Amino acid sequence: MANLKDIQRQIKSVSNTQKTTRAMKLVSTAKLRRSEELAKRSRLYAAKMNQVIAEIAGRIKCNKVGGIDNRCFSEIDNPKTVDIIFVTADKGLCGGFNIQTIKAVKKLLAEYKEKNVKVRLRGIGKKGVEFFKYNEVELFDAVIDLSSKPDKERADNFIETSIEDFKDGKIDALHLVYNGYKNMLTQDLHVTKVLPVDASQFECEEVEKSMLEIEAQDDEKMLDSLVNRYVEFAMYYALIDSVAAEHSARMQAMDTATNNAKDMVKSLNVKFNKARQAAITTELIEIISGVESMK
Amino acid sequence: MQMLKLEILTPNGEIYNGSALSVTLPGEEGEFGVLAEHSSLCTLLEAGVIDIEKEDKSIESILINWGVVQVDEEKVIVLVEGAVAIRGENESEIAHALEEAKELIESIKDNSPAIAAVSAKIESAAQNLI
Repeated sequence: MANLKDIQRQIKSVSNTQKTTRAMKLVSTAKLRRSEELAKRSRLYAAKMNQVIAEIAGRIKCNKVGGIDNRCFSEIDNPKTVDIIFVTADKGLCGGFNIQTIKAVKKLLAEYKEKNVKVRLRGIGKKGVEFFKYNEVELFDAVIDLSSKPDKERADNFIETSIEDFKDGKIDALHLVYNGYKNMLTQDLHVTKVLPVDASQFECEEVEKSMLEIEAQDDEKMLDSLVNRYVEFAMYYALIDSVAAEHSARMQAMDTATNNAKDMVKSLNVKFNKARQAAITTELIEIISGVESMK
Repeated sequence: MQMLKLEILTPNGEIYNGSALSVTLPGEEGEFGVLAEHSSLCTLLEAGVIDIEKEDKSIESILINWGVVQVDEEKVIVLVEGAVAIRGENESEIAHALEEAKELIESIKDNSPAIAAVSAKIESAAQNLI
């Protein structure tokens, strides 16, 4: 039978943990509300931006807008070097949030390795960066405190290297991996190919319905500038979406932890009462048998 | 007159969503107006003012710093990076919007003569409202 004092200490320690997890849950709930609002406001813009870009890409693919040969819009058959940018949280204690992203990155890495493609891994967020460093996977570069505090300017600076290198032909594709917000309970893992713009879903037949004209005398300049904004925004949106998802994941993880702690305290209490009862019984027996022996 | 559907979106949310008689946009190659059933086009916008002519013929001005517009037969979608609508219930609200607009103009880095014209334009738009 466990010592009464030991059980008491255990109960105290578990309830303290419970207090911490409950506080963390509350903090995450408050932060989630803010970041969710931010992500929600940008969602519409992101969706429309994707739509516009996809339509242009589709039209270029179907040769409706003649004579445009932009690297960002043409499929590259045999990529030699690709960039993978992943976004994880800076902090743990948020369930499978980070590991899901890491797993997706690992899968993508393995796929490219099989094809003998060189991968430049660029990381945002301490957890993911630490994981790959520990596993001795080479990182091209890493930023640590950007994912917890998304900042448009820093995100732009970070992504600029990839955009420039893509346009210069140093890399042949750009992937973005992050865990996004779906609702309070679920996160949505996004593995997107940002560059070249994916036009595979666009049906050429649809193009026939309407004529699109790209105004501006120099199309190249317009597309260049549009693609820059598109990729920059995709990066920024990934960051804010990831923050919202991180808080929702943490809120959930902490909720589960609080409940588990509650269950544990309950079962420990039962154990404590049993032990206490056993101790009383033993003591009584000792007294009674002592009295008996005196007779 | 036929109305067109107009959506103006910024990364921070919608700034206009509704119908309009016509809309004038500050294109890279110069200002252009769009009426309902305009042919499809896609072009970049530079810093300037979007003038929306509403159903009651009143004009609403929105200042933008960069944007892209997609026009098709049904609707006009304008994606802008930063925008300030010059509107308000009373004078102080309009003055506030005007101040915000001036801040946005200042944040635009290049100092082309067009920017000065934009600044004059929003002032007159605000004057008209008061």
